[in-house]
Amino acid sequence: MSITLPTYSRLEIPLLARRQRVWAIIATGLRRELRRPAAIVVTVLGAAFTTISSIAILFVASIIPSGQAPDLTFFAGPASNFFVLFFVSLMASVIGAGLIADDMQSMAFTLYLSRPITQSDYLLAKAAILAPLVAMVTILPLLLTALVAAFLSFFSWTIALQAMGISIIVGGLLTLFYTAVTLFLSSLTRRKGIAAAGVFAVNFGLTIPATILAISIQNFSILYISPWDDYVAVASAAFGGPGTGIDWPGALAILLGVTVLAAVVTYVRMKAVEVVTG
Amino acid sequence: MNGVVEAAGVSKWYGEVLGLNAFTASFGKGITGLVGPNGAGKSTLFKLLIGQLHLDQGKITLLGEDPWNNVPLKRRLGYCPEQNQLYGWLTGQQFVETLLRLDGMPAAKARQEATAALKVVGLSGAAHRPTRGYSRGMRQRAKLAQALAHDPEILILDEPLSGADPAGRVHILRTISDFARDGGHVLMSTHVLYEIERVTNNIVLIHNGKAIAAGDIHAIRALIDEHPHAVRIETSKPRQLAQALARMEHVVSFEFPATDMLLVRTRKPDAFYRELPQIVSDTKLEVHGLESPDDSLDAVFRYLVG
Repeated sequence: MSITLPTYSRLEIPLLARRQRVWAIIATGLRRELRRPAAIVVTVLGAAFTTISSIAILFVASIIPSGQAPDLTFFAGPASNFFVLFFVSLMASVIGAGLIADDMQSMAFTLYLSRPITQSDYLLAKAAILAPLVAMVTILPLLLTALVAAFLSFFSWTIALQAMGISIIVGGLLTLFYTAVTLFLSSLTRRKGIAAAGVFAVNFGLTIPATILAISIQNFSILYISPWDDYVAVASAAFGGPGTGIDWPGALAILLGVTVLAAVVTYVRMKAVEVVTG
Repeated sequence: MNGVVEAAGVSKWYGEVLGLNAFTASFGKGITGLVGPNGAGKSTLFKLLIGQLHLDQGKITLLGEDPWNNVPLKRRLGYCPEQNQLYGWLTGQQFVETLLRLDGMPAAKARQEATAALKVVGLSGAAHRPTRGYSRGMRQRAKLAQALAHDPEILILDEPLSGADPAGRVHILRTISDFARDGGHVLMSTHVLYEIERVTNNIVLIHNGKAIAAGDIHAIRALIDEHPHAVRIETSKPRQLAQALARMEHVVSFEFPATDMLLVRTRKPDAFYRELPQIVSDTKLEVHGLESPDDSLDAVFRYLVG
């Protein structure tokens, strides 16, 4: 009935740490993105446009005579550069939307999870693929803007370095927000087009109507529902810039709350997900 | 109850569809074939065993452990899915290496083991080609390589012969036999009984989510031989191949469902599968794939379940 040879013994290979197993997923994911022309074009264009426009905004603000000495508040302008919103939406859609959805669709997810990795390893790796790419438009342009401003002596190095530090914090906040929300949307569906549409809905579907409504009824608290306006409020406050109509602590709480909620819900969902094939 | 796999009253629903229906079976050591038509519940059972589905009722163990979300257990098993692939742009070598890295294998060791595993399944020559350019049979072999490469205790193979060409089948079956000969356990599904007969006598029949028979393959062979067995052959010259196959006495009929397809019905499938490679080789005709529609097996199942 059965064939058995009890002499068999397994070759025990020392299991590398979780960090290295997660890195294997990250490396494969990054290689995959770097092979996709759309991902490269959006990343390069996003980083270039956002950086150039941020530098332009800063220099226009600094050459207009206002009687104000160059200080940190000038960096609130580049931080609220609308190109950031545009390109972060594109990047989240083009790169992030398919990160989980594609794996579900192609059933690569089955192969991943047939290995000794957990759902949290998988999610962590996916976040680690998306976050650095999103940071190319949320953090890098602000860092380069401060760097160029200091090199050209428009601002002192002290101010530039302070601006860089704040840029990492506020840009990091936006990066975490978009990474968590995009992965959440990607985990909801096997079709990345739907996840991508969700990213645009979260951005422009909330930001534009909220802005129009806030102006038309003169009630700016509506802007809290727009993640972009929440971010601009926080960034402006961080650089000591002018108020934006909503209070930064509330805006920060919303951004952090949604980020944590999206991450937790995605984790719980992936933990319980069953891989069903035909 | 000390089988490699123990399933007791296992039920799994997909909404209102029943995937497994109080499935009870014990799979022993060595090679066990899980035989059943498409939709019988084979893949559902395998997904439960690799911990990617959660059962709704009953109890299931693999190597004595509950497989649901059991990460350490995954190191002890090698899984070869039927249709899934990682990314088509990965070469065979990269595909196996990547999955070995997920096992926690150091890079140099993963490279070495991937090369060895691809050699075992006869894919050394294509190791550095992207898997998207592989034939279906080559993809099956690449998936078998990744399942084997980390030296698991048990192989769970979901239709490993599906779509494989004759040479590929030989390689796959030989690899499976060698693995079991070295003391490993194999659980493989198929809807073609004659394929599994070459590597084991030990089978479990599954139909409509239930284990309807378990034990020696020869007991149901007689039943199946009463029904002509269909073989779908993918070839660029179906008429010439039919002409060559017509000399087999047990061949009952030919059909040409597509310009590159030949459907043969035979009363002696084991003889057919045995003789086919020689005929293909003698006539120098190309065979790109072999598949057996499960209608004959389904007929037997209908007979068995009344």
